[in-house]
Amino acid sequence: MSETALNQALLQAAVDALPTDDLSAMRRAAVASFAQMGFPTLGQEDWKYTSLATTAELSNAWLGSLPLGGKAAATDRTEELIASVRDSIDAHWLVVRDGFADSGAAAIGEAGIRISGISADESLHPGSDDPMSVFNAALLRDGLKFSIAANAVPKKPVGILFIDDPSNAVAQTRVIVDVGADARLQLIECSLSAGPGRQFTNAVTGIELARGARLDHVRIQNRDHAHTGVSRISASLDRDACLFSNNFDLGGALTRNDIVIGINGPGASVNLTGLYLADDKQHIDNHTSILHNIGPAISAEEYRGIMAGRSQCVFNGKVVVAKGADGTDSSQTNHNLLLSERAEIDTKPELEIYADDVKCAHGATVGQLDEGAIFYLRSRGLALAQARQLLTRAFAAGTLGTLSIGECHDFLTRLLDQRLESLVGGQSCPT
Amino acid sequence: MLEVRNLKAGIAGNEILTGLNLSVDAGEVHAIMGPNGSGKSTFALVIAGQPDYEVTGGTVAFDGRDLLSLEPEERAREGIFLGFQYPVEIPGVNNAYLLKAAVNARRRHAGLDEIDAFEFLKLAREKMAVLDMDQAFLNRGVNEGFSGGEKKRNEILQMAMLEPRLAILDETDSGLDIDALKAVAKGVNALRNPEHAIVLVTHYQRLLDYIEPDFVHVLSNGRIVRSGDKTLALKLEERGYEWVREAANA
Repeated sequence: MSETALNQALLQAAVDALPTDDLSAMRRAAVASFAQMGFPTLGQEDWKYTSLATTAELSNAWLGSLPLGGKAAATDRTEELIASVRDSIDAHWLVVRDGFADSGAAAIGEAGIRISGISADESLHPGSDDPMSVFNAALLRDGLKFSIAANAVPKKPVGILFIDDPSNAVAQTRVIVDVGADARLQLIECSLSAGPGRQFTNAVTGIELARGARLDHVRIQNRDHAHTGVSRISASLDRDACLFSNNFDLGGALTRNDIVIGINGPGASVNLTGLYLADDKQHIDNHTSILHNIGPAISAEEYRGIMAGRSQCVFNGKVVVAKGADGTDSSQTNHNLLLSERAEIDTKPELEIYADDVKCAHGATVGQLDEGAIFYLRSRGLALAQARQLLTRAFAAGTLGTLSIGECHDFLTRLLDQRLESLVGGQSCPT
Repeated sequence: MLEVRNLKAGIAGNEILTGLNLSVDAGEVHAIMGPNGSGKSTFALVIAGQPDYEVTGGTVAFDGRDLLSLEPEERAREGIFLGFQYPVEIPGVNNAYLLKAAVNARRRHAGLDEIDAFEFLKLAREKMAVLDMDQAFLNRGVNEGFSGGEKKRNEILQMAMLEPRLAILDETDSGLDIDALKAVAKGVNALRNPEHAIVLVTHYQRLLDYIEPDFVHVLSNGRIVRSGDKTLALKLEERGYEWVREAANA
């Protein structure tokens, strides 16, 4: 059975019909590139578990309904979401709705942070060899660029709240982050849905860390359970740069995240963590690549997943140590907790080592809750459901312990507790 | 308080308890001794409701109620406590959190108000002082990285906080050095009063030097073959379990 492909003619027509702006030439070039690519298909090794066929269908229908809309009008629900996130996490918040930044985003009153739109020349970078990033460029209408001056250390984290309204079927977002030498930025990207419904969001984040720069990056995805999200984070680290990246995927019907990190300076370090929680028929696919192009450098990666219902998750963690990248120290783990017999995880560590003097470790586990621990807790008077909840939470809590932006802690704890309650509550209890 | 009649139980089709009779009243301390494989731990786990064990015959009444029809957590809330031979490590679950949740589960069941954080800490500190436990244990994961002795002290701490009506301590003495043994005995003796009953499951007489039992029972092949006072434990120590087996077969 052949998968539904994205209709190139519809794409071309839709892009041609967009009003002229700074990004027009870039969009036209991207449409031409995309014609050679198309959406990834199940036949491609990197996409063998994740089908974009229904996403292509949704996109074709949207592209055919010209003219393409702007952002949906803000509803009470949108305002509520914005207020609740602002109240929960102390940060400079910018709001991006359906791919368009709300006006007034530019001024946050912190010295050393410049926020601008993105211009055509940097828009295709990163990910010009990645079809979904090119598709993003082909339809890109707006974006955000953060430039942090050398040595600047902002007082508060910067948060970007992406709110997608299903009345607008397809949205592209793009964020470029340049952190100057010895500067530091704490960046939160939080993606929520304005309401229930099918929608496709395609997000691209490009990160450049100069010498000695540090980025703490927390990405929280808690979208509606009919939503399809594809995201790609590309990061490049110069000498002594440091990236802490904490990724939380709780929502969505189909979610695919690609994180590609290039270590391009000695002394750089990467700390990458992820937590994915899935139930019903949710599908969450995390592909990460850490490219040790030069040594010495450290990368540590830990992803954890909890799956219930008939959910399916994928973890593919690639580490490539280039020839000559001696002194590389890399570790990677992926731990999975399956709460139902019908849930599935496909986990695959991939190590490619071309250097001699390296230390690389990886491991993956898949298991159920420990029955011995459940009985122990019950023997202390805790109900079965409470025991399960507690153990499941303990499994997830490991990723909160390494959270790089403390301001997110309480918000995430609440979010995780809510999600875990529905994951564990949905389990069938043995009679 | 506890009436066990002709209890038969096993695991995976293996019958381990073959007709056990035991009667425990409030205020009493019983010691159940026996060789390895005689069914001591099975008895303790069956009373606590370990779901892997299947009861195939007999009855167990706790204050006149059918205990075997209750879930493990219901038994705990009714006031039964099992001190585990091998306490489980639960990383990520805070020791204080579990203690407080356990105490409140029992209090709710008894129709009492939940204990607040202040009262809880005060109580926990008192009990820990008796057991000679560092308060840092409260903030660690349940039994996570604890030594053998620390795990056993932690079991006794839980018991002390819960003040169970019936405490069954499964080989709580095994693997303890003399200081830990004394601390554990102190905790157990503190619970000793006319309202509470204690069943010590042990392989050795050593613990009984510190906690003096009212009754000693010898378990062999899944049932109690001999009962007596504390002198029976001394006799056992002297003559070994072979003597009991011979007596049972005679």
